[in-house]
Amino acid sequence: MKKPPREEPRDDLTVTPPKTWAAGVPAVVHALEYSLEQTSPKDTAVDLLTMNQVDGIDCPGCAWADPAPGHRHRNEYCENGAKHINDEATTRRITADFFREHSVSDLAGRSDLWLNQQGRLTEPMVKRPGSDHYEPVSWREALDLLAGELKALDSPDEAVFYTSGRVSNEAAFVLQLFARAYGTNNLPDCSNMCHESSGFALHETLGTGKGTVGLDDLHHADLIFLVGQNPGTNHPRQLSALEQAKRNGARIVAVNPLPEAGLLRFKNPQKARGVIGQGVRIADRFLHIRPGGDLALFQALNRLLLEAEDARPGTVLDHAFIRDSTSGFEEFAEHARQASWDDVVTTTGLTREEIERVRDEVLGSERVIVCWAMGITQHKHGVPTIREIVNFLLLRGNLGRAGAGACPVRGHSNVQGDRTMGIWEQMPDSFLDALRDEFGFDPPRAHGLDSVNSIKAMREGRIKLFLGVAGNFVRAAPDSAVTEEAMRGCRLTAHVSTKLNRSHTVCGQTALILPTLGRTERDHQAGGEQFVTVENSMSEVHTSRGRLKPASPLLLSEVAILCRLARRTLGAGPGNVRWEEFEADYGTIRDRISRIVPGLYDFDRRVARPGGIRLPNPVNEGVYRTATGKAMFTRNTWRIPDVPEGHLLLQTLRSHDQWNTIPYTLNDRYRGIHGSRRVVMVNPQDLSTLSLSAGDRVDVVGVWPDDTERRAEGFEVVPYPTARGSAAAYYPETQVLVPLDSVADISNQPTSKGIVVRLERVTP
Amino acid sequence: MNTVEETIEIAVPVRTAYDQWTQFECFPRFMTTVKRVEQIRPAVTLWAVGLGPVCREFATEIVDQVPDSHLTWRSLGQRHGHRGEVTFRPTGRDSTEVTLRLSAEPRGLTGVLPVVPGLTGRVVRRELAHFKAYIEGHGEASGAWRGTIRGGQVRPGEPEPPRSRVAVWPVG
Repeated sequence: MKKPPREEPRDDLTVTPPKTWAAGVPAVVHALEYSLEQTSPKDTAVDLLTMNQVDGIDCPGCAWADPAPGHRHRNEYCENGAKHINDEATTRRITADFFREHSVSDLAGRSDLWLNQQGRLTEPMVKRPGSDHYEPVSWREALDLLAGELKALDSPDEAVFYTSGRVSNEAAFVLQLFARAYGTNNLPDCSNMCHESSGFALHETLGTGKGTVGLDDLHHADLIFLVGQNPGTNHPRQLSALEQAKRNGARIVAVNPLPEAGLLRFKNPQKARGVIGQGVRIADRFLHIRPGGDLALFQALNRLLLEAEDARPGTVLDHAFIRDSTSGFEEFAEHARQASWDDVVTTTGLTREEIERVRDEVLGSERVIVCWAMGITQHKHGVPTIREIVNFLLLRGNLGRAGAGACPVRGHSNVQGDRTMGIWEQMPDSFLDALRDEFGFDPPRAHGLDSVNSIKAMREGRIKLFLGVAGNFVRAAPDSAVTEEAMRGCRLTAHVSTKLNRSHTVCGQTALILPTLGRTERDHQAGGEQFVTVENSMSEVHTSRGRLKPASPLLLSEVAILCRLARRTLGAGPGNVRWEEFEADYGTIRDRISRIVPGLYDFDRRVARPGGIRLPNPVNEGVYRTATGKAMFTRNTWRIPDVPEGHLLLQTLRSHDQWNTIPYTLNDRYRGIHGSRRVVMVNPQDLSTLSLSAGDRVDVVGVWPDDTERRAEGFEVVPYPTARGSAAAYYPETQVLVPLDSVADISNQPTSKGIVVRLERVTP
Repeated sequence: MNTVEETIEIAVPVRTAYDQWTQFECFPRFMTTVKRVEQIRPAVTLWAVGLGPVCREFATEIVDQVPDSHLTWRSLGQRHGHRGEVTFRPTGRDSTEVTLRLSAEPRGLTGVLPVVPGLTGRVVRRELAHFKAYIEGHGEASGAWRGTIRGGQVRPGEPEPPRSRVAVWPVG
């Protein structure tokens, strides 16, 4: 175990060739190395050996599904999951002395990495108006203060309640219930910034916002598309599923602006052939697409499939499925046939021959799955792109069948579950009616604010109180300077957190840190030891039970904090919510959830069974709850990005040693970047055109039609095989370049991909 | 492919026999070689089938299913490949002829059974007899799924009454 760093790590870039395979023995070594820096060998063993096991700890690292009980490895986790869980289980502690030593101004000048490395928060802290220091405060005083501020607002709509995907189902349900009993639907969440486009597109076309496939489907697919995602870093356990699919004969097409290691080859460290052998090739075809070219690609594929049907009638399309289960085919087909090859080639950066070879792969495959992540959703055309993917799947009946379907790959471990629990600013009346009937109060009906609109409202002074349950809103949100100014304008900001992050340092006049239990820790309440539940990306709901002693006896669980706050804020009303009972026994929360949420009947009993509950997906039961009652073909248009000469399309991305907004080190092993995060990766041919060279120092300057200059300063240029005309740089350092008004059409999701930038050389 | 076909007459109405057959997760109650079944969704089931100390797991996809008529399926994946069909034919008001056909690769159903020549046929015959004894003894099905499946895709039947206050789920 190492002590927390007192100084910032030295920024000293070295570059090595990018890796062409992911995982293998180095993954094990790096996972253990980081784990043992953070915590004891004993705790490392306890949490790793119970991680993702039946009745164990659900890895908070990502939302990938676990294999069925009886089919799990003894070590059922990945490198990044191991790092993440031991980052939480760290033995480092932040005490009152730390905050006496470091002012808020001092902390606001620290890096994300340094803040996180200081360790676990151990007691409630308050920063009072006019003070530059956090000071200890009792839970009673902290929650009284927060409740008092909530009660003092002119309207409940002057508060927002933000959630991150680490929050359990139980805490999420309690939070949305509290917010609505208090009187607002202002429930922004991290899903607003990651898969909101998926939810909107799938809901419109298929009648469900969730993916339609399970692990078994991936295992039995003939052809799998990996589009705009980097499984090697962001959901490494997906590689095991892809490995199995390959061994069952599947072929894989990867579509990405960067040839990420995990898209190319996987050496499974749990198997001898992964340790000493060559592993398994992942992508049989890699399409080196320009950022944002995916809509054009799938529309071109759809045109090719339609033309193949013309050439061989009755052999390409699933006519029975199209006739019986879909609507809008004729209009879609007419539109898709008009896709211009010149535009497709320009927008995608691919050749027609490359796309035709993929068409041949499709024609040779009975079962096709398309997986995607934020390389799709975070574009301006994210929603139409996913709708076009749905068109592609519908054409050959690749929905509602074994081994086929749509697979949005979510990042946060319970981001999907939080939505199932009602964390959404636009919940429909059917859900609000159910809350009313169950709890005896009338929830507000007006839609609330999502993340982007919350920032705008804060900036305009319409939001005075921000409560964040988990997450690091300031860093996750776009337009960092604007977001920080908005947060600082709040009367009170409060965060329920396990570790220190920048959102604690960029705060309102009054600020509260409310430290909470982590997933790894035992949760004892009046009703005995508790477990919580989560829902993975494949709609499986299961338990998570901590095994370690809490980091401090002063920690409260998220459920306890929210229940106590609700009691103080709401007093005896409204309705018949029994907050004390909820806090004492989470089973009583699950009992109420079971009466409201479809598929979770008898929740408390069924979820305790090995493997938990698989929520039904209407698409797999032949039901499409869309406007037409059928799966909907749609017509989608795109615009060729307007990139002036000398400019590039930037995409933000995570490094391999990073979990969401938090870097663990300055290294990005797979991409060959070591010792620095202030790098911008650019195709060597573009560098030549721009008269730039490896090692040049540049500012990355955003181009957006307003009067604001958005500049990320002091980046080092690294030649990298990004798609021509594009660049890549790390998130959240480049969030400053994403304008608040630059959002995806329809979903209002910030566009952290496809940002037009120029690189301005600076002299060191 | 090795093909086995067995037929049995059951003294219950065709609807009763068919409905009981749709309750796959109950099969271990009366079939000796079926150890465990999990229905992932209407068209996909996971099976654990074994004889003696050997047990194999595999997934199947129901390709076609028509209430009170027939059901065809095929295994998913390259190993333990087989296809199957069960048909239900009413032979009277209270009697049904049930025919089961299995076509298995040389290693056969679950990779276990055809090691001994003729074993698959004997096992199928015995399990059908178990099914007959079970449903005749109960006289009514323990449940029913009345949907239709064509080409592996579900055509839903009557929706089940909601068990929660929100009948359908709007978002993801």
